[in-house]
Amino acid sequence: MAITRRELFTTVAKAGVPAAVALTVGSKALQAEEIPVPSAAVGLLYDASICIGCKACEAACAEANNTPEDISGDQLHQAPTDLNELTRNIIKLYKPEDGSPYSFVKRQCMQCLDPACAAGCPFQALHKNPETGIVSWTADKCIGCRYCTITCPYHIPRFQWQGYNPRVTKCELCSDRLEKGLKPGCTSVCPTGAVIYGPRTVLLAEAKQRIKNHPGRYYQERIYGETDNGGTQALYLSRVPFEKLGLPELGTESVPARTLRWQRRLYQYFALPALLYAGLVQVIRTSLKGHEDEAHEREKETGLRAQL
Amino acid sequence: MSKHPTIAEHLKASGVSRRSFLQLCGTLMATAPFGLALTGKKSVLQIADAIGKTKRPSVIWLHFQDCTGCTETLLRTSAPDVAHLILDVISLDYHETLMAASGAQAEAALHSAIAENAGKYVLVVEGAIPTKDDGIYYEMGGRPGVQVLREVAAQAAAVIAIGSCASWGGVPSADPNPTGAMGVSSVVSGKPIVNLPGCPPNPYNLLAVVLEYVTMGKLPAMDEFGRPLFAYERVIHENCPRRAHFDAGRFAYAFGDEGHRKGWCLYKLGCKGPVTHAACSTRHFNEIPGVWPIGLGIPCVGCTEKSVVWRMSTVETVPIHLATPPDTYPPIYSSAGQLKVGAAALVGVIAGAVGGATWVASQRFQSSQEAGVARVIADRTHAEKLKLSSENQTPKKED
Amino acid sequence: MSSTTIANASADQSRWERAVPVYGFPVVNRFFLGLVAMTLLAFILTAYRELAGLGPVSGMNDAFGWGIWKTFNVMVLTALGSGAFAVGIAAWVFRRKRLHALMRMALLTSFLAYACGLLLLGIDAGRPWNFYWIVFPWKWNMHSPLAEVAICMSIYAMVPLAIENIPPVLERLWYFDSRLRPGVERFERRLHYFFPWIIAAAYLLPGMHQSSLGALMLLAGERVHPLWQTPWLPFLYLGAATFMSFGCVAGTTMLCCVVWKRAMDMEVLDEAARITAWLIFGWMGWRLLDILFRGALGTAFHFDRFAGVFWLEMILIGVGGWMLRRSLRTHETRIMFLGYIFSSLGGMIYRFSPTTLAFRPNPESLYFPSTIEILVSLGFISMGIAGFLLIVKRFAILPAPLYEWHDMASYFRFRRPYIRWTGYFKYGHFGENESETTDSH
Repeated sequence: MAITRRELFTTVAKAGVPAAVALTVGSKALQAEEIPVPSAAVGLLYDASICIGCKACEAACAEANNTPEDISGDQLHQAPTDLNELTRNIIKLYKPEDGSPYSFVKRQCMQCLDPACAAGCPFQALHKNPETGIVSWTADKCIGCRYCTITCPYHIPRFQWQGYNPRVTKCELCSDRLEKGLKPGCTSVCPTGAVIYGPRTVLLAEAKQRIKNHPGRYYQERIYGETDNGGTQALYLSRVPFEKLGLPELGTESVPARTLRWQRRLYQYFALPALLYAGLVQVIRTSLKGHEDEAHEREKETGLRAQL
Repeated sequence: MSKHPTIAEHLKASGVSRRSFLQLCGTLMATAPFGLALTGKKSVLQIADAIGKTKRPSVIWLHFQDCTGCTETLLRTSAPDVAHLILDVISLDYHETLMAASGAQAEAALHSAIAENAGKYVLVVEGAIPTKDDGIYYEMGGRPGVQVLREVAAQAAAVIAIGSCASWGGVPSADPNPTGAMGVSSVVSGKPIVNLPGCPPNPYNLLAVVLEYVTMGKLPAMDEFGRPLFAYERVIHENCPRRAHFDAGRFAYAFGDEGHRKGWCLYKLGCKGPVTHAACSTRHFNEIPGVWPIGLGIPCVGCTEKSVVWRMSTVETVPIHLATPPDTYPPIYSSAGQLKVGAAALVGVIAGAVGGATWVASQRFQSSQEAGVARVIADRTHAEKLKLSSENQTPKKED
Repeated sequence: MSSTTIANASADQSRWERAVPVYGFPVVNRFFLGLVAMTLLAFILTAYRELAGLGPVSGMNDAFGWGIWKTFNVMVLTALGSGAFAVGIAAWVFRRKRLHALMRMALLTSFLAYACGLLLLGIDAGRPWNFYWIVFPWKWNMHSPLAEVAICMSIYAMVPLAIENIPPVLERLWYFDSRLRPGVERFERRLHYFFPWIIAAAYLLPGMHQSSLGALMLLAGERVHPLWQTPWLPFLYLGAATFMSFGCVAGTTMLCCVVWKRAMDMEVLDEAARITAWLIFGWMGWRLLDILFRGALGTAFHFDRFAGVFWLEMILIGVGGWMLRRSLRTHETRIMFLGYIFSSLGGMIYRFSPTTLAFRPNPESLYFPSTIEILVSLGFISMGIAGFLLIVKRFAILPAPLYEWHDMASYFRFRRPYIRWTGYFKYGHFGENESETTDSH
């Protein structure tokens, strides 16, 4: 009655592993993992070489989003040291010890084309708008699992640690201002034009023009976000290496595409799990029969009621 | 010369140089560049012109529960000429500290000053007025100060309460206020009263208010406490020269420490600048820049504010109501999280307990030697038990 | 019934023939009360956490969004609680018949571990009231490993695992009152009809979510140290769950036998040890080969805490596996027990590392659990242990030789005074009152 390993494998194999393999590997959607760019994708272009670190964008962001001042540091100054539940946008300073060029950097949500935060969010609380490409958070769907704070390669979404109704905060490009025809808060107050707002295509063209007009000024003559992490809608130009500013070198594949490839394939259409289930049921049915027969025999022998 | 000469005539007659007068006008302009009609957006020559044409104002100065500090502030100018100059511009018809007369002659001087300038003089009040027990705690010529004040104020054109004592009670009104000391506005009604709190206030505030009144005919704009806005609209903190240190988080933590010696912000030492309305941070004292409390390394005590001085401890820090961004920058990677000793100790205890329990438990397992022997014994015992039970076994019922 | 059958049975004295409730040991003793106290403390602290938010009660911060609740109670404890999965597959799919004796222990420990893990998953979530979206499958984000974990784990614990744990309850009901017997037997037959489907689900679902627990940290990319981060992470997590759960089930059973003076069936335990050792060495080989092919082996020889944790894991697991194999040769139960403990401990550290010990979001940040966090975690573990102690003494879970089944019918019915463990049994004889109806006596 005991099944041999050979029998087991042949059963499962006959049950249609070829079909499953064909389904998962051959399906067209997974062949070329191309990330669609939203039709009306908007974004920011931040040129770190022009930024003077005045932080008007920090104050304007708080005002545009109606958030109270963040005086959590010393209760005295509005001086957040990092993004948090009250701060969606922050200016940081990279200042090397050895006197080589320093640079400011404005950190806010990169509005990735394939956002890792939305890929990991269990009930789609973080959702990328298919037209504008803005990634926004919905309180109604969020369970507060904080997976987005872990998956985002730029460490942007921040969870509110105090209180019984915590929220997740990140830049959403002032979408309510955009609806009224205004620009995002930060770009409307920048005195030097270091951060500007516009359609992604226009910003890319502008950035490329700047690189062309000032050869040797920008790091690697490259726009961060054009293809980095699969492309982002917040683009960066810098004099110093991007890694020094906290923008990691992630390659041209987006984080979800690179890391979840096999996960997506194996669960495509739920084919493999269903197949496995069918195989298991067959095997267990046979085992169960044998087990029950043996149990009844023991019952007769010992006079004690069978335990399954 | 007429009985009431214009200021220009009087100055000329007194031999005061035009240069000194123009310097005074320049100082006045710096006192209130925007807040007064007299000096707002005017040039020095225009101010000199306006003042020169006016008749020399008559000023009656009464003292009550005072320390005479407000008088001193008027006189302790850095150059003696300026004090004289001030006294040439205004006609100080009655001043108990400065006048030569005393006794009955002084009283007569007061009555004649009132009679001559009835309805036109400016009454300056220095010191708080005690009101308890029918005001017997200050008597002037045998009469309670409250009475005297009301009589003199009745015939004044305007009343200026100089100093915190006259404005809201000052030092005498500190708890438990045994004399019932109060400011002028609590005693006098029906007359325009200007409060110039401070301990002492800047003398140019007084001069500006008086001259504004006599040249323009009206008192300057005031806030709800009767303080002229040109001098009392802002708090010290807003214009403090050490504000940059505050914004950058550079504080002196103890008198004489490194921060104190470097002139850093005195907020942590209890400076009441953020809640004190006054102009001291822009207009210093004695015409010497830097001569003012904070400039000398002494935290502001809030001498103009009734709710601050004598009510709060000098070392108590005040809340800041307008938060602004400082000029420091966060680094690219900020730190988060800390190792708490208690939690680490708890983890250690748990790890130790689990390890110990595992060790003890493993000791209860028999080694193979012991197991072998025990198994033999156990087998025998159980065989006996089974024999016992099989003897007692009842006939089995079939299911 | 001839005495020869019984004599034959006496030939293998300590064979585990049957699950028998642990009689003779009272449920309420100092240890149990201590566990209950810890549980109550945890409930109180949980109420505080619900009101005050996660910040004040835990050491979690912006850099380390997950603390020990998710990473220990969910990731590690459910791995230990994969006994139903691992032992079950060995018994039902690969037909290792001897392991059926351990099935009830495996099912119970799994159920309790999953209950503890799921409770803490709910406590750890910042906005748990939105969990109701789980009922709408079209709202699930099927690309998200966390959605897969939450949904799959919930369904698994509430349906197949719970159903598989029903038979001991039914058994007790059957003995408890003979008037219930027809209903119980009908229910059992219905249950047995669906068993293949339920058991198959009980193997598919854990396979899915235990590997998804590994997939969770895939999205963290470079921030997990290369000695752990690999595309094979889901597979390695699943493998670790298998040998850890064998260790948990077999180790717990051995410990229970020693504490409650039961005989140990070395055939079953040897079988389990053999399988576990194979799993361990296979897993270690796979992991080391993967590290080698990714070129990350060099980092194992740096002098930093990552290399330290890596070697600690591998040494613990390796020594554990070696001890198991040695105990097979020398029949030393102590070595076998320690082998299970060490390999499970190493596996626990392995499953715990990628989210905390080997996670480097930011060179300046660190995470250490706060006291309240630790106490809540411990409290719910205590709840699981207390539940185990209670259930194992009231229901037939722990396997034992046949002769231990003394008049269990009365024991289940509270009819006789509890049997005190004296070495000899004063009340009740073997198999007495087995099929009695209620109104005899």
